[in-house]
Amino acid sequence: MSESISVPQERAPVTARVPAQPPGRRRRHPQVNVHRRREALTAYVFLAPWFIGLLVITVGPILASLYLSFTDYSLLEEAKWVGLGNYTEMFFADTRFLTSLKVTTIYVVVSVPMQLAFALGLALALDRGLRGLPFYRSIYYLPSLLGGSVAIAILWRKIFGTDGLVNGLLAMIGIEGTGWVSDPDTALGTLILLHVWTFGAPMVIFLAGLRQIPQSYYEAASVDGASRLRQFRSITLPLLTPIIFFNLVLEVIKSFQSFTQSFIVSGGGGGPVDSTLFYTLYLYLKGFKSYEMGYAAAMAWVLLLIIAGLTGVNFLASKYWVFYGDTK
Amino acid sequence: MKSSSRKTMWTVAALSAAVMMVAGACGSGDSGGAAEGGKTTLTFAYWGSDARQKLTEEVIKKFEEKNPTIDVEGDFSNWDSYYEKLATKVAANDAPDVMSIEIRGLSEYAGRGALADLTGKVPSADLDQQVLASGQVEGKQYAIPTGVNAFSMIANPSALEKAKKELPDDSSWTWDQWADLAKEISAGGGGVTGAEYNHNPGWLQIYAAQRGEKFYDGTKIGMSVDTLKSWWAIQTKLIETKASPSAAKSVEIGATGPEQSLLGTNAGAMGMWWSNQLNALSKSSGQEMTLLRMPKIEGATTGGMFLQPAMFYTASAKSEHAAEAAKLIDFLVNDPDAAAILLSDRGLPTNAKVLTAVKDKLPAVDQKTLAFIEEVKSELSPIQVPPKGALEMEDILKRNSEEVMFGRATPDEAAQKFLTEANAAIAG
Amino acid sequence: MATRSKRAPLLFRPLPRGSRLLKHLLLIGFGLIMLYPLLWMISSSLKPEELIFREPGLWPSAVTLENYTEGWTALKHSFGYYLWNSAVITGLSIVANLVACSLAAYAFARLNFPLKKLWFAIMLGSIMLPHHVTVVPQYIVFAELDWINTIWPLVVPKFLATDAFFIFLMVQFIRTLPRELDEAAAIDGAGYWRVFGQIILPLCMPALATTGIFTFIWTWNDFFSQNLYLTNSDNLTVAVALRQFLDSSGESSWGPMFAMSIVSLGPIFGFFLAGQKYLIRGVATTGLK
Repeated sequence: MSESISVPQERAPVTARVPAQPPGRRRRHPQVNVHRRREALTAYVFLAPWFIGLLVITVGPILASLYLSFTDYSLLEEAKWVGLGNYTEMFFADTRFLTSLKVTTIYVVVSVPMQLAFALGLALALDRGLRGLPFYRSIYYLPSLLGGSVAIAILWRKIFGTDGLVNGLLAMIGIEGTGWVSDPDTALGTLILLHVWTFGAPMVIFLAGLRQIPQSYYEAASVDGASRLRQFRSITLPLLTPIIFFNLVLEVIKSFQSFTQSFIVSGGGGGPVDSTLFYTLYLYLKGFKSYEMGYAAAMAWVLLLIIAGLTGVNFLASKYWVFYGDTK
Repeated sequence: MKSSSRKTMWTVAALSAAVMMVAGACGSGDSGGAAEGGKTTLTFAYWGSDARQKLTEEVIKKFEEKNPTIDVEGDFSNWDSYYEKLATKVAANDAPDVMSIEIRGLSEYAGRGALADLTGKVPSADLDQQVLASGQVEGKQYAIPTGVNAFSMIANPSALEKAKKELPDDSSWTWDQWADLAKEISAGGGGVTGAEYNHNPGWLQIYAAQRGEKFYDGTKIGMSVDTLKSWWAIQTKLIETKASPSAAKSVEIGATGPEQSLLGTNAGAMGMWWSNQLNALSKSSGQEMTLLRMPKIEGATTGGMFLQPAMFYTASAKSEHAAEAAKLIDFLVNDPDAAAILLSDRGLPTNAKVLTAVKDKLPAVDQKTLAFIEEVKSELSPIQVPPKGALEMEDILKRNSEEVMFGRATPDEAAQKFLTEANAAIAG
Repeated sequence: MATRSKRAPLLFRPLPRGSRLLKHLLLIGFGLIMLYPLLWMISSSLKPEELIFREPGLWPSAVTLENYTEGWTALKHSFGYYLWNSAVITGLSIVANLVACSLAAYAFARLNFPLKKLWFAIMLGSIMLPHHVTVVPQYIVFAELDWINTIWPLVVPKFLATDAFFIFLMVQFIRTLPRELDEAAAIDGAGYWRVFGQIILPLCMPALATTGIFTFIWTWNDFFSQNLYLTNSDNLTVAVALRQFLDSSGESSWGPMFAMSIVSLGPIFGFFLAGQKYLIRGVATTGLK
């Protein structure tokens, strides 16, 4: 990332505790070894709570779910081994599974960029320069609080239902709207909108990220005569990329696992003609309603592989556009 | 921030964490249901609304009064997550001692060995024997029924009056007559729609019975493609003639409960519901409602209506307190004191003696329901216990009905698909 | 708006009057659209219950506070009791996440240790598995520990940094800070802990504030786990209590539910408003020196 604006840097003479080492050298200075070991040890201490949590609470159940994915498990009885049966059934015999994949993919591809765009836009608008910003931020954050609430189903129907607000507004300009929530062609669209509506969370993270950018950079830039747009492009955007990256990665992960809204708005089903059958919703229905928890576990692992793959791609691509402050 | 104030901040954080941990530990009370000082503790799982929770807590107290050595802990959940929570607990070997269950879950749980055989353990001589039979699977009494329900037609007389129509003669009316009536009501203006869409398997079961077919025939679906097609034909005709709302609107309403239905919001004249939902409908619409028999197919010999227990009480197969669990169930269904508190919260009592005892205490709406059930009792078909996999039936039916309604599939295709999916669900 | 002694950089100066007004109008207008569902909920909570669905409009034809009074006392305990239970769990969760996740994040962001990439991948991976399939094995673990019906299954995992979301969040924030800071402190003789506590953490205030706010909201609204692990009706929390007003198999009390939902939004909203002070106190204002 080329920086054409000079950034005042204070470089105090850095007498490193560690003598510089060309990378990849096998033999290391003994003092380095001690230091490395100390660093590693400290790291383990810092990570201790996480390690314990990982072993006791996370890893066990995760491995258990992997085992379950190869079984036929009804929750009420013992699990019976079926090998790859669940997986083959999923991909070759289950049209609903493929539907859920399709629905979820469309959802992620459309709603994540839209939501992040709104979040970034609003964060920039609400960062500085106006009175009453804390108030505005809270207002724009409120929808995310309601997003998972059980009341949201009713509220969404009130807006997008056949007699809802949207149709009322459309009627005023002479268009007759359909039942957006219950028409198979548009039901998914209403859920996408719901997701975009709850942009408060990434917005807050963007706000925090904007505040991490040192003011001195902007000061130096205006001394150099840079315009606002220029400052945005060359200071704000680059320095915000770690946060953009974070939001992107996590929103993708979260949207693939989207469950609550679809569950609540469709009343516990997959929506009209399965048009809003999200992947995790189908997983849940298979596990808890059809008593096929083994199949659900298999679905979970397939999802994990998909998400892991996408996240890996995200990370690889990040080398090209994310700028960290800690890289020298 | 200076380092000293930083240190203070952390100390405060650590202290408050410690305080809250202690508060939390004290507040959570004792865990584990082991016997303490000679008392046994039972867990009793049930679902419902806050009204039911209050009543149940009262009933529990009464039971504890009569049985000082038994403590009962109510494990209450809302309906949507009830089975999920229950299944998790059973899977973890932590099943509640007494569990409420309804008929679709019965085969599931009994068939998979999660329930205890209560034959002979709970006195059932005074219970309605026909209804009692619905709690049996393969001859063993796994569940004790409570509350009888009939899937019926509910009408709003004042809405009919407004449309200048009379209440039909429900002992002989046909589906066509019903559809015509609904069409005329909708056409009459006044914002009232004649009928509401419904994909409840109960309706299909009644319809099939009128054609001489059983919904479940052992472990297969006993209905034919033709039955499904003609059943769907009724619904599509309703939508076409505007006797019921459009497909999209119907789906919208179908995803909600009685309070948001057409009938419940005074926007509809007739709808199909379980008889014990009369209360909810009357309250939310503010109107008096009447229960009617379902229409018949021209020339049908049986009305097809059936009784179904609203729910059952069961005991966990792995319960360590089998005798006490049986006692609690006995109290709930056979003891007039319990019925005096619960009244019709879980449906009308199945114990004839208890029913007579509390009859006069029941609210007016429930008395109506009771009268209706007694009136139609002789015409009812025997109850069918759905096989394993029945929990999915409503979803499968709904989805395939929607395909027909939205024109995504022809009735032929949808009927075939329904049969395939439904058979697969109950075969496994 | 504080006036600075020297001219503030372009990006920070208040906008000219005209465009400020326009911005206000746009924000308020858009805000109202965003808030419509909430406004409907408030209006419904003030309507007598029967009218909520009969009247689809926004303005109540009859105003009453009965939903609030009824909702407060409808359940076994007064609603304030559930608010307190939620507060305890949420408070503990916030402290837990702040401490445990920042510790882990520092290690991932600043320290080197064997297999670091692998552990990082595992940390991220733990977010990727839908919780529905781990719920049963986890329940079994907690049942063995005899923690069912206590708050421990909800709180202890947070002390063990199982909320990897926040670890990753803080890693990203810490990585925006130049390493020169650590090194400058090292010259002054600071060990890892001092660097962590006195350099990194203060500069991560926005990330910490974000963690606190999000933990609050997610824990406050976490229906699934609370419903599963808190079975005794004395141990319930707000999220579970709200659902008890609804019963799709029978009668629902929509009015009290809306009213109590509004009530429970209050603490979250207040927390968010208060937390903003910490949110905006970033590197930009504290300065690198």
